[in-house]
Amino acid sequence: MTRKMHPAVKDLKSDMEKGKLSRREFIRMSTLLGVSAFTATQMAGLGWVKKAFAGNIKRGGTMRVATSLQKIAHPANYSWIAGSNVTRQVAEYLTLTDGKNITHPYLLENWEASDDLKTWTFNLRKGVTFNNGDAFVADDVIFCMNQWLDDKVGSSMKGMIGGYLDTTGIEKVNDHQIKLHLKIPEIAVPEHMFHYPAQILNHRTFEGDFLKAPHGTGPYTMEEYREGEMAIIKARSDYWGKGADGKPLPYLDGMKFIDMGTETAPMIAAMKSGDIDFIDMSDIAGTDIFMALKDDPKAQILTAPTASARVLRMRADMKPFDNEKVRLAIKKCQNHEKILALAQMGQGLEGQDFHVYQLHPEYCEFKTPAYDPQGAKKLLAEAGYPNGIEVNLAVGSGWPDVVRYAEILKQDAIAGGVKINIQTMPNSQYWEKWDQVDFGITPWTHRPLGTMVLNLAYKGDENGKPVAWNETKWVDEEFSALLEKANGTLDVEKRRKIFCDLQRIQYERGTVGIGYWRAVWMVAGANVKGLDGHPNGYMLFNEVSFS
Amino acid sequence: MPDTTKTTPVPADAVETDNTENGSNGAAAEAEKQPGRLRETVSILLSSKTALVGFVIVAFWVGVAVFAPYLTEYSPFDQDWKAPNKGPSAEHILGTDELGRDLWARLIYGARVVLVVMPVNDNVVLPGGTAIWGVVVALIVGAFLGLVSGYKGGWIDEITMRLLDAMMAIPVILLYLIIVAAIGASAVNVVIAITIVGVPGIARLVRSLTLDIKTREYIRAAETRGESAWYIMFVEILPNTRGPIIIDAMLRIGYAIFAMGTLGFLGIGMPPPSPDWGSMVAKGRAFILMGSPWAALWPSLAIASLVVGLNLLADGIREESMRYQ
Amino acid sequence: MIVFIVRRFLLLLLTMVLVSVAVFMIAEWSPGNIAKNVLGAFITPEQEASFLKQNGFDKSMPTRYLYWVAGNDWIASGKIGMPLKKQITDKGFEEWWAVDDDGSLLRWKVDGDTLVAIRKKDDGTTEEFKDDSRWTAIDGGKHEFWGVDTQNHAVRWVKGDTEKVWVFVMGSGWVESSGGPKEYIPLKKGFVRGDPGISFRTGRPVAKSLFVRLRNSVVLAGCAFAIVMPLALLLGMIAGLREGSFKDRFLSIGGMMFSVVPEFATGIFLTLIFSMWLGWLPGASVLGDAAPWEKPMMLVLPVLTLTLIELGYVLRITRASMVEVMKSPYIRTAFLKGLPYKQVVMKHAVKNALIAPITVIMLHVNWLLGGIVIVEVVFGYPGLGAYLLDSALYKDFNALEAGAMIMVTVAVGTQLIADIIYTFLNPRIRYA
Repeated sequence: MTRKMHPAVKDLKSDMEKGKLSRREFIRMSTLLGVSAFTATQMAGLGWVKKAFAGNIKRGGTMRVATSLQKIAHPANYSWIAGSNVTRQVAEYLTLTDGKNITHPYLLENWEASDDLKTWTFNLRKGVTFNNGDAFVADDVIFCMNQWLDDKVGSSMKGMIGGYLDTTGIEKVNDHQIKLHLKIPEIAVPEHMFHYPAQILNHRTFEGDFLKAPHGTGPYTMEEYREGEMAIIKARSDYWGKGADGKPLPYLDGMKFIDMGTETAPMIAAMKSGDIDFIDMSDIAGTDIFMALKDDPKAQILTAPTASARVLRMRADMKPFDNEKVRLAIKKCQNHEKILALAQMGQGLEGQDFHVYQLHPEYCEFKTPAYDPQGAKKLLAEAGYPNGIEVNLAVGSGWPDVVRYAEILKQDAIAGGVKINIQTMPNSQYWEKWDQVDFGITPWTHRPLGTMVLNLAYKGDENGKPVAWNETKWVDEEFSALLEKANGTLDVEKRRKIFCDLQRIQYERGTVGIGYWRAVWMVAGANVKGLDGHPNGYMLFNEVSFS
Repeated sequence: MPDTTKTTPVPADAVETDNTENGSNGAAAEAEKQPGRLRETVSILLSSKTALVGFVIVAFWVGVAVFAPYLTEYSPFDQDWKAPNKGPSAEHILGTDELGRDLWARLIYGARVVLVVMPVNDNVVLPGGTAIWGVVVALIVGAFLGLVSGYKGGWIDEITMRLLDAMMAIPVILLYLIIVAAIGASAVNVVIAITIVGVPGIARLVRSLTLDIKTREYIRAAETRGESAWYIMFVEILPNTRGPIIIDAMLRIGYAIFAMGTLGFLGIGMPPPSPDWGSMVAKGRAFILMGSPWAALWPSLAIASLVVGLNLLADGIREESMRYQ
Repeated sequence: MIVFIVRRFLLLLLTMVLVSVAVFMIAEWSPGNIAKNVLGAFITPEQEASFLKQNGFDKSMPTRYLYWVAGNDWIASGKIGMPLKKQITDKGFEEWWAVDDDGSLLRWKVDGDTLVAIRKKDDGTTEEFKDDSRWTAIDGGKHEFWGVDTQNHAVRWVKGDTEKVWVFVMGSGWVESSGGPKEYIPLKKGFVRGDPGISFRTGRPVAKSLFVRLRNSVVLAGCAFAIVMPLALLLGMIAGLREGSFKDRFLSIGGMMFSVVPEFATGIFLTLIFSMWLGWLPGASVLGDAAPWEKPMMLVLPVLTLTLIELGYVLRITRASMVEVMKSPYIRTAFLKGLPYKQVVMKHAVKNALIAPITVIMLHVNWLLGGIVIVEVVFGYPGLGAYLLDSALYKDFNALEAGAMIMVTVAVGTQLIADIIYTFLNPRIRYA
């Protein structure tokens, strides 16, 4: 290590040694601070498992992927992971967060964070070229960051990084180094660089539609992209990454993405008959795929536990949910064990009605709230509804597990004095009004840190108005203050203390019930090798091959 | 043009699309000859094996639908969450669905939704099944349009018929897709969809019957008496069209059940947790591939058997009433 | 007779107009927010307004209907003062260009206050140059210009507007600009000219996707038809020869049973049996870029499902027709004359009994279309029906309307054909 190690790494290491921090968490946090995964693993006292040269890796073959091919134009605008999974093979990210939540440099050689976490230096990998021959330089990164922060582009990256970064804070040092000057300290910058819309584009040729100039640094070139039908990508011969055999990646000749819509039955049948090699499940619930294929010798399934959840959300500014007792009563109507078992087929973890997940580093031990219809009745009476309440629940019918969650809740809530009328609608219609309905179930995707979602969805802006993604319009002063404190606290033990309060407040006063945390799956044919499960369903396929 | 309503076993909708001019006589003649009295209906039933079999099947479903609450100890919503997706057993004779609900209970309450009650929303339930409502509303609107345009003739007839022609030309499935995607999933919307699809066919049938009947002596007599046009239409003509209309309605109910199934399957039927047969199939379908075909099997069979029953009944009655001539 | 056919044809046109207006209005009034569907749930009101403008949703309903039917390039061409031309690039992208006096192709973009023209030469290369002379002065010291932008819109740009906006210019970052694009016409040729516009869901020209989908559906329907027709006619004849015989009962009741089981149920259980248990046939249609006939195995189950549904229907119509014919006086006469049974049946009965089924079957296409939609959904078959369902759920208006029109054309067209055939086969018809 020639570079200076971030001072906080020492604290992290001591935390780990005192047992306050798991080894895995230590690696995750210290890599975020710029320590290489290798060094971090060494420091954690774990052996570094170098992927051994496997002489039997077979090159060649075309992987057939069942997916849903939506319209894509500007990668920064992606709102579905499936779309990013096609262009992910062509354009790449600055960093890579792997299936174990560890962030590695990728198009970056490495990064450094200042002690106050407000200045980040990105050193770009040299010798990387776009597939049209242009070299990858700092201008490309700056161009992309400008796009992310551009209101006209309308990227969800703006919501993720706009809080701490302005376009004025991006400084080009030279062709292979840039510095980010943040408005407030932020530790998760490298993780954000792997958010799915953050693909690095060629600033010379990109004009708003990636398909017109599909120039990326990735191992494949885009041959064809026909929305709603299929897409074909082919391996390029001069990719910068090398395989175990010393030759450039990828091992595959190419991939073919076949649009099979969102109906799962044809996908299951196609996997069983060997007509496809992989099912992209990033945007579909997929419990039925898992259940149907789990014992099938023709398929292999990788499971990843995730913090992806179906959030039962109640608008804090609408009757009757403006009363926190009503909200708590509805939460008490959930039988978490049953919901997990039936809605998600037991594949995941029970939710605890606050948006922090048991495997988040700062999670504070909490007992899963019990199903308590009597308690719910009492609370409703206290809230001024002695005869119970009747509410409409908006549900997207395209998520079968969400519909099951709603049906279970409806049934169990009767005993608690809550009459729920389920209103189903196509998913697209749900997304149109996800933040407007008073009562609904919104899918939230996996985020590796506990603070990330809380910052996105459960606080107010400078003026106390709910932030953009605050779908329940819940702003609680004490909660916001604690959250602010947690954001600036690097020490996990201290952060966890704050989280004990955050969790308790969100359970007691908050606006969400969380039935379960979903496990997600990658489903591939048995002959596919080198797969790495990912909680977001990202297809990291550079080193995938056929046996 | 042959009189297709007479020869069509399955939903008459798609068929009697055209050429009323040529297709009216047989049906109208039938109207005259069909007495429609209870005694004769019974004797028709007994003399036709086809009708009898159909009647038994339909009676079975109507019976279980009416007496559903007495035929099962479960409600269609009770969730036995330790036993989801089970096959038939002593406790659950048809097995359970993905939430551990008793399939027999759901099936017979589903029949209720089709034949006996219409859940307008979670609190209001109307008597008369959803399929029945669809057909009845279509009958009212269709008969009205058919009567008026048949009796009045002239430009009213021309405009009404051309509009109905246009409606009929729209493939039924397309109408469903557009209507229900536009107005969402609920029993009322299902009724609206069935109505819109049914009206043109009924109007055509009634119009052709009217055209025939209005040349009869007793209509002339009424006209000379100075009865109003409405009186003649609804008191003199309408009752005489009932024979073919009843047979048509039976087929149409079968068709409406089929349509409810299709809508439910496409995910635009009734909102959960309604034991709507089509929705049950749509949900159960995912579990077939996991080795639990029950949740999809029973409602499929139910739809099929009920529609078969209605068709046999209608066929048999028609055959027998023809023989009476 | 000619008059009759012409009359029917006019009716067909009328029907199609009525249907297109009806679909247009239903799609119009149905709930749903296309901007949020396309751009995601997180767009700002400004982005939504801009999206609606760029896609012509700010225009009145009749205007949009006109654009959809007849296109708007001719309107835009008038405003720009140059002819417009649609080109398909090598990569298959659609591009609209204005044609300059010398025949070269032009498009424009605005960089701050500067109008930049892009000229495409015959060899396909492009050059950019400043083109500020095209601004025309309008009231209030402002300038405006109608041109074609790089996103296939006709655009009215205004500069010198008092209202300043920040725009992002590629390469130079944020610039303060006065004015900008004020009005958009999303260029298209219109449905009647073979261009129903761009699908919002896929961003591709609807015509392109539709062609493949339609082809797939035609193959599916064609296969089913080719199997059903001869089989059903034959079985129907056999059943109808002796009304009430065991064969008759068996065939007509058996046929009916299959035809009233919903398509989705049939499809599901065929998959279960042949794909899951026996493992003989693929249970889903994975076509990718292959045409259906290149993977005939994929077609077996969908076709079989359709066949089972349709077979009973046609069979029973044929049977009924045959029964009627066998009872008719001329057949009785033929028997009385002592002609052999075989000869009577083959020579007289069959010919006459076929008239009804053939025309009715044409009318039945309407019904077949419904079956196709369901079968396509069950098997994941990429045909027109599945496309329509997706479009309807997504409120993808251009695609929905175009698909609906094609379906209607097929349905009404076959009815017209049925009418014509019928007038030929049955001279007794009155030409009303």
